[in-house]
Amino acid sequence: MAKHHISTTINGEPVEFLCETQQTLLDVLRDELGLTGSKEGCASGDCGACSVTVDGRLVCSCLVLGVEAEGHSVETIEGMADGENLHPLQQKFLEEAALQCGICTPGFLIAAKSLLEKNNNPTETEVRYWLAGNLCRCTGYDKIIRSVLDVAADMRSA
Amino acid sequence: MRKESPPDNNTARADLIDKVTGGAVYASDIRVPRMAHGRILRSAVPHARITRLDVTEASALDGVVTILTGEDMATLAQIHWGLFLNDRPVIAIDKVRYVGEPVALVVAETLEIAEAALDLIDIDYEHLPFVDTAAAAIAPDAPVLHDVHDAIADFYFTGQAKPVAGTNIFQKFGVSTGDATAAECDAAHIFEHTYTFPGVSHFALEPHSVVAAFEGDDLTVWSGAQSPTAVQKVLSRVFGIAVANIRIIVPFVGGGFGGKASVKIEPLVVAAARKAGRPVRVTLTLAESMLTCRRLGATMTLHTSLDKTGKILSKRATILLDGGAYADTGPAVAAKAAHRIIGPYDIANLEIEAKAVYTNTVPGAAFRSIGGPQAVWATESQMDEIADAMGIDPVELRRRNLLPRGGEILDTLRPLDADIGDMIGRADQAIMNLGDGAAAGIAVAATDPGILPLGGALVRVLVDGSIIVMSNSVDIGQGVRTVLREVVAKMLNQNPNSIQIANPDTSTTPFDWGTGASRSTVIMGLAVEDAARDASDQILALASSVFDGAPNDLRLVPGGVAHGDEFLPFQDVYHRAFGVDSGEVVGRAMVTPTRDGSDFKKSPLFWETAVGACDVDVDQEIGTLSVTRYVGVADVGHAINPSGAEGQEEGAAVQGLGHALFERLDYVDGQPVNATPIAYRVPAIGDIAKRAHTVLIENGDGPGPMGAKGMGEGGILPVAPAIANALARRYGIRIRDLPLTPERIWRALRKRGDDAT
Repeated sequence: MAKHHISTTINGEPVEFLCETQQTLLDVLRDELGLTGSKEGCASGDCGACSVTVDGRLVCSCLVLGVEAEGHSVETIEGMADGENLHPLQQKFLEEAALQCGICTPGFLIAAKSLLEKNNNPTETEVRYWLAGNLCRCTGYDKIIRSVLDVAADMRSA
Repeated sequence: MRKESPPDNNTARADLIDKVTGGAVYASDIRVPRMAHGRILRSAVPHARITRLDVTEASALDGVVTILTGEDMATLAQIHWGLFLNDRPVIAIDKVRYVGEPVALVVAETLEIAEAALDLIDIDYEHLPFVDTAAAAIAPDAPVLHDVHDAIADFYFTGQAKPVAGTNIFQKFGVSTGDATAAECDAAHIFEHTYTFPGVSHFALEPHSVVAAFEGDDLTVWSGAQSPTAVQKVLSRVFGIAVANIRIIVPFVGGGFGGKASVKIEPLVVAAARKAGRPVRVTLTLAESMLTCRRLGATMTLHTSLDKTGKILSKRATILLDGGAYADTGPAVAAKAAHRIIGPYDIANLEIEAKAVYTNTVPGAAFRSIGGPQAVWATESQMDEIADAMGIDPVELRRRNLLPRGGEILDTLRPLDADIGDMIGRADQAIMNLGDGAAAGIAVAATDPGILPLGGALVRVLVDGSIIVMSNSVDIGQGVRTVLREVVAKMLNQNPNSIQIANPDTSTTPFDWGTGASRSTVIMGLAVEDAARDASDQILALASSVFDGAPNDLRLVPGGVAHGDEFLPFQDVYHRAFGVDSGEVVGRAMVTPTRDGSDFKKSPLFWETAVGACDVDVDQEIGTLSVTRYVGVADVGHAINPSGAEGQEEGAAVQGLGHALFERLDYVDGQPVNATPIAYRVPAIGDIAKRAHTVLIENGDGPGPMGAKGMGEGGILPVAPAIANALARRYGIRIRDLPLTPERIWRALRKRGDDAT
């Protein structure tokens, strides 16, 4: 069967790609477009390492088909920093050692950014709820929670 | 966890920037030209003879490059490999021994084609009787998994496994001191309890991933491996290739925890690349990684005798470990479990026997503190049971038996280098600081990391003053690069940001035993420190000719060399010394058991110690338990990277929480029924204690750079028994089997109610 021709926007740039029907958005990002920052952990929507936003909505890209990106805007970890300037969440994760192996980190950052865009004053419980779809086997989570709360506080006082 | 002070942020973590931008390259991100993709057909049955394996139809599928099966193994230099016993075929030959064992590997142009081809392979089995528990494996009439035990000595760990011919026992390890039987005759109390700890999954979020490529006779392997030189050595034996012709490159690794230590799928992928005649990439799914290795489950029975004052007179222990279908490093796990079940206690009479056995289940392997969590679960649960029965406060019972700093757990081991009593005091204080009073449960541990002091490094000071550190210590998330950078920066008095830590690469970088057993900070830390000192000596010698001064009058300063008020950048030193504006200085070092000024012949190099204290809350209607407060204390000697060290402790504690409450690889009729990421539950962000704190004790008394000890494993040890002890204290129920599931807690609460009426 012929591949599908998909037109989409990725990290603000218009992007076209060809993909098979069964390829996930994650497969397309990693294998067709070379955007390997989104990671494949569980491949079943459980771990959140592949988190991206589609039209601002947080999704697991392993549960979205590549063809579903047609006409939509996708944001990945590669688009999070503004050139050399890290996003405050990226900076804080580094400062507070909120990452270790780093394989879950892109997913956590995308998810946390998505939270702060909707709620810049989350409680700790709200942070836990919002990040419940992201697994980390290294850090024990506490430094991730602190980083997100600290960035929220910084952004409110800025 | 909460901090009193802002994080120490003066540590350069330049390579970590790549981890927050998506730029960091992991093993699973590696792609090479002409690469084909492999998918594995795995045994669906626990124990069987393969009577037919027909790949004709699958091979004919358009896009299939080749299919590797047991028939291809005849041409190998060595068909079976292992770390203690050569028991594992590169791919199943004639027989399968567990559900998940690779029986065929399809190499195809795309993953999708490889996947489709798997369905076209015909395989028939003649089923054999199987054993899926260690108890069944040692029954007199048990089916025997391996007809021969080819034990190899000093291959990876020092020593040799002691299998029992004609049985499933692949390792027996004993510890015997004093006379436990005589001591029991004099005892006022004898307690016997049995505890179980199930096999659990590493669940590193990046599954195993390997790319193998031949170029003529030269083999390059990219792997998320914790022990690149072990991979290199095993590949050399299996494929008959000189070690020098095998290059192992390790990019960033997405979590290891021991599950990527020793050797895993590398021989299989290399065999496929050899047959395919082109590079092959195999990236497992997380579910497949769960079928690749796991922690060894354990059943432990303790007989502990005490006098009437609560002094322990003797301890007898039997440890039965479920080692799965292939031994891997299970023999070392058994030996360590036997040491680690003693605890940091003064016990004159010990009789401990550990056995590890083959079963038709996923192979056991190293996992953060090998044998430690199992052993500490038993010992520290029993301490509270004894305290309860004798009417002694559990902390007081421990204090009556703790060894002081300098005390000997075994006279063959280095004396204890930490003050556990002081650590308990700090844990008490820290948990009080979190509010709501004293801890409900505590547990302590002292473990002897199985460190081989053998590892080298190069420190290259380049002409512009930038520095490359070459080390085969693998960044599995533990922050080793940050530690090494800090050590080199300090030794050379350079800005950490000028120092790059190269990826492990066996073709350019000296031998190192591997990344595990909390060894890198000490062993590789000393290797890079020695190599940096060597570089410094060489640079100062060069500069002395340039300055016309003695090396003693010179000193390294950021960017160059100073002589009194004079400063010369490295570039000028090299220019004047070499006659061209080029060149470099290479410092080198190899840490060995006979390193000058070190006492590395005695094991362990340092003790890894831990105290955990907690409180719990149970919803008695449904049996769910939450940890409301948790404190972990570790004596780390010196924290070179404080926030990273704290993160290691916290992460270890949360893995321990998973072992305590959720995790168990379940077998029903030889089938692993929950070996998928969705069915197998690891701690999520909502599961961790809302109030928690980590205490790092720093006395600068470790053998590593700046007085550091190794760390990172200890934090996992006390968690499960501390929680079970808190559960017993708060709710009056004692559970001896992990995990502490809601059902077990609910049933115990019901039983307690029945007993009360």
